[in-house]
Amino acid sequence: MMKKQEKKGEKKEDILLNILHEEQDKKGYISVDAMKQISTKYQIPISRIYGVVKFYTMFRTEPQGKYIIELCGSPTCVLNESRDIERFIEKELKIKIGETTKDKKFSVYKTSCIGCCDEPPAMLLNGKPLTKLTIERVKKLLNELKKK
Amino acid sequence: MQILRETNLEALKLAKELGPEKVLQILEKKSLVGRGGASFPLAKKWKLALNSKKKNKSKEIYLICNADEGEPGTFKDRFILKNNPETLIEGILIASYVLGVKRAFIYLRNEYEFLREDLENTIQEVIKKSKMQNKVEIEIVRGAGAYICGEETAIMQSIMGYRGQSMYKPPYPTEEGLWESPTVLNNVETLTCVAQALLYKDWNPNLRLFSISGDVENPGIYEWELGVKMSTILDTVKPTQEIKALSFGCFGGIMPIDKNSLVTTETICKEDCQHGAFTIIFIGKNRNIVDICLSIAKFYTYESCGKCTPCREGTIRVLNILKKIRDRKANEKDLEMSKELSYHIKETSLCGLGQSSTAHILTSLEHFKGDYMEYIKK
Repeated sequence: MMKKQEKKGEKKEDILLNILHEEQDKKGYISVDAMKQISTKYQIPISRIYGVVKFYTMFRTEPQGKYIIELCGSPTCVLNESRDIERFIEKELKIKIGETTKDKKFSVYKTSCIGCCDEPPAMLLNGKPLTKLTIERVKKLLNELKKK
Repeated sequence: MQILRETNLEALKLAKELGPEKVLQILEKKSLVGRGGASFPLAKKWKLALNSKKKNKSKEIYLICNADEGEPGTFKDRFILKNNPETLIEGILIASYVLGVKRAFIYLRNEYEFLREDLENTIQEVIKKSKMQNKVEIEIVRGAGAYICGEETAIMQSIMGYRGQSMYKPPYPTEEGLWESPTVLNNVETLTCVAQALLYKDWNPNLRLFSISGDVENPGIYEWELGVKMSTILDTVKPTQEIKALSFGCFGGIMPIDKNSLVTTETICKEDCQHGAFTIIFIGKNRNIVDICLSIAKFYTYESCGKCTPCREGTIRVLNILKKIRDRKANEKDLEMSKELSYHIKETSLCGLGQSSTAHILTSLEHFKGDYMEYIKK
């Protein structure tokens, strides 16, 4: 059986995923305070909101770096040496996958396929795809971003 | 390419002239089937939803356009969203007209967030031109990185504001879907085909989009007829080394290549695996299949929704065994264990994700045992 949804759930503003995305677009992450506010405003139990935020990997509950790098881990990217790029980024930024640099400039994640298999290896930088990556290109990019 | 043909609201105009029943007849006659991988006849699905509504007239039908294309190696929907979004929106409007839908959703995976603004603008433009502003509303729901939400019950949970976990069927979405109302779920390619199949007399139902990647010079989206020869595909995409295996996304399994085989829904995988939506990752002979399996196993561990035990726990155990094999610490007993565990997960998981989460192990153990043995302690 599908879970029952309250009648009010059929209003446009009640698509919880979109509400959470808007909060994350503004602040970069979704704090517990923000979840409480959403809970009160839309009359959705806080436990459900927390469960939803924690379920979806692209919702963040901690402050993020200015630049969020999401490296594609699909088999196609792996065939195209994406692991070398991954190791290079970890070494260059001195953090592990899933961490944020101390200066809050970079957060690095690994993600499932981002649908750029025609131009591997690929990653998302703040949601925008960057493809045909090489260590040289990534090195140049990181240096430019560090200066910004 | 057929999928890039534009319909410029002519298909919608024709649909309104013909009326819903005639449109259904045409789509049925043209043999339009779903392009998400299951090949379910489109007109049949729409009729099931209409019948559910007849039984309970107070319910409205919802439409979901599944743009949560998460299968690794698949990028055909991105290709359509980028190159022919107007025809997709027209397909959604035709579906809305035939089914009497007032509220339609496009569930857009967050990995395609960079396409959202343009898509939003296209929706507004096409709706305005069609003069259907007061009849139907098309909303984009932004996914948030969960592969499972490509599954039909999980996507509905997600839209309703829950964790995207799959549910038991029946009831099927066409009976009881979003907010307990009949719901029709079609993917991007299918809905684009709706407009094209309706308008063009020479529309070919056998053309399929292929997402090609891996050890080839020309990866990309291609359109071939069902039954295309594997050698034709190879001649076009030009392997960079001799090809020994094909991976049909993560979902499908890993099979040896047969250059003389004809690629159809039935023959591509025989009984061992599923082809999904014609995704082919070519794997060269210099690769060890265990390395590919490791990346697929990591994918499933990461994407399991956690609802049922075989998938949640099993995918982790499978990954651990594969790591042990790759680190050359495993023996033949571990191979047996991974095979047994894989069968168990396949047979006892709740949804398609769990059931196919070990296809890569089972198929590769059968066809590429030598690759495993290279890593096994003697």
